[in-house]
Amino acid sequence: MPDFALRYIRLIEAFNRRVGRIAMYLIFVLMGVLLWSSISKTAFLPSLWTLEMAQFVMVAYYILGGPYAIQLNANVRMDLFYGNWSPRTKAWVDACSVLCLLFYLGVLLYGGIGSTAYSLEYGERSPTAWRPYLWPIKIIMCVGIGLMILQATAEFLKDICRIRGVSF
Amino acid sequence: MPYELIAILMFSTMMLLLMTGQRVFGAIGFVGVAAAMLLWGTGGSDIGFSAAMKLMKWYPLLTLPMFIFMGYVLSESRIADDLYRMFHVWMGPVRGGLAIGTIGLMVLISAMNGLSVAGMAIGATIALPELLRRGYDKIMVTGVIQAGSSLGILVPPSVVLVLYAMIARQPVGQLWLAGVMPGLMMAGLFILYIAIRCRLQPELGPPLPEDERRVPMAEKLRLLRAGLLPLAIFATMMVPFVNGWTSLVESSAIGALAAFMAAVLKGRMTREVFETSTRQTLAISCMFMWIILAALGFGAVFDGLGAVRAIEDLFTGQLGLDPWTILILMQLSFIVMGTFLDDTAMLVIVAPLYVPLVGALGFDLIWYGVLYTITTQIAYMTPPFGYNLFLMRAMAPPEIGLRDIYRSIVPFALVMVLALALVMIFPQIALWLPDYVYGK
Repeated sequence: MPDFALRYIRLIEAFNRRVGRIAMYLIFVLMGVLLWSSISKTAFLPSLWTLEMAQFVMVAYYILGGPYAIQLNANVRMDLFYGNWSPRTKAWVDACSVLCLLFYLGVLLYGGIGSTAYSLEYGERSPTAWRPYLWPIKIIMCVGIGLMILQATAEFLKDICRIRGVSF
Repeated sequence: MPYELIAILMFSTMMLLLMTGQRVFGAIGFVGVAAAMLLWGTGGSDIGFSAAMKLMKWYPLLTLPMFIFMGYVLSESRIADDLYRMFHVWMGPVRGGLAIGTIGLMVLISAMNGLSVAGMAIGATIALPELLRRGYDKIMVTGVIQAGSSLGILVPPSVVLVLYAMIARQPVGQLWLAGVMPGLMMAGLFILYIAIRCRLQPELGPPLPEDERRVPMAEKLRLLRAGLLPLAIFATMMVPFVNGWTSLVESSAIGALAAFMAAVLKGRMTREVFETSTRQTLAISCMFMWIILAALGFGAVFDGLGAVRAIEDLFTGQLGLDPWTILILMQLSFIVMGTFLDDTAMLVIVAPLYVPLVGALGFDLIWYGVLYTITTQIAYMTPPFGYNLFLMRAMAPPEIGLRDIYRSIVPFALVMVLALALVMIFPQIALWLPDYVYGK
């Protein structure tokens, strides 16, 4: 296994882990926004921004946390056959099927970049009372999907390592 | 190529890809976007991302991480352990009493969170070893915990009903209330089954030995206090919601805060518990969200093909079936599909197909929500793919093999089918409470 591949895996994993660890705490931001929303609603005038802010936080939460979730092995697989295979067979099949995942993420990113470019060009706003600009969240989404692609490539390289019996 | 054929091709490709064991969201998403691009060229490439924007605007989805967090706080901080003790002491002397108590425990846990994970975790780690040590039959006990924890998605708050509410465009509040009576009825049927079975075969669930029964009355009453905690958490969450002071999403945040505070006040919120529950919440939320994201893209292509219309036409027009036959056929196919489709994926893929059809046939969609949830519960437990089955295998002690787990669910799945039939024949079981509260 070439040296740079191993370094690539380590770099991507460390970076995504850090991003994911930060995204993990967004759940408390989300909780805070929603609690503020209920307090402001009963105590004084309801805030305009809470609903959409909560939605933005939620999107950032799961998109930026996605790569870390892959590292944690949180994504369910159907293990009817998969569960009984040897680690080597698993690595072989994964190395092939992860290309499908990469294709999906690639199309997702392609659509995302197009949509973000549109938002930036025309200053697209959400059609609500608060009228926030949509480009910031779209940029976050694109970055997150990009990180997912990096993580998926790292997964691919890890499978190659497993096939060749190289530790990473 | 005719559209029906494309739809079937998409479905079978997806199944095939799922069999390779690739991450579920990757398999579904790939088939979705690949089909879109084959059908509509580069114009189809936006379908993946526009699903993400659609997902963002689904407001009730915000409850998902909140309920997951709540469930993990409850199971990791072990504040529910006292609950188990309570049932242990009070129900122990009866034949099969610990198993009956476990069902009671599951109902209380279900009232505090919206998935079956927490009930499963508490059941498999606390109740299961205790029951095995007391000589309970391992197959029955495994079934009790699997069936009991599946109540989590029927008794409010329920994540499955939130997802259903979004797809069917029905108010979540009424759906939740509709789940209460069927949930309690099903728990009652489980208890009845256990009691009868243990009367016929006493060796399955021996009562506690004499020396363990001698618990002073003061201690017994003190333990009863443990039952107040779930009631308090449930009330802080549901009272503002039912009175219309807060929205559903806000209530879920209040519930998560209440569970968190309860753990802090009981001195159980250690650094480790905090870390595990926060991390697991991210992991499980991401798993759900990415599957839903991929399935939305897949569903958009399906809608574009007009697959629902084609199926509806096939049933009512060409085959000329009456609504009830179609409904029963649908529930049956749902159960069959549930046995080999991943449950989350099934939820998001099958529901958009079935729900409009049910509405078109003139059935009450609140009532159908309950039928839908019970069917999902059955699907949760039936092999070879079942969310609860996987969890059980991961959490159960080593002496319980996969065969035991598979065998254990048979009687409980039958009881659930009975409950399903009862709710179908007597819709009032589900609709009485929401009608009463909302004064229809």
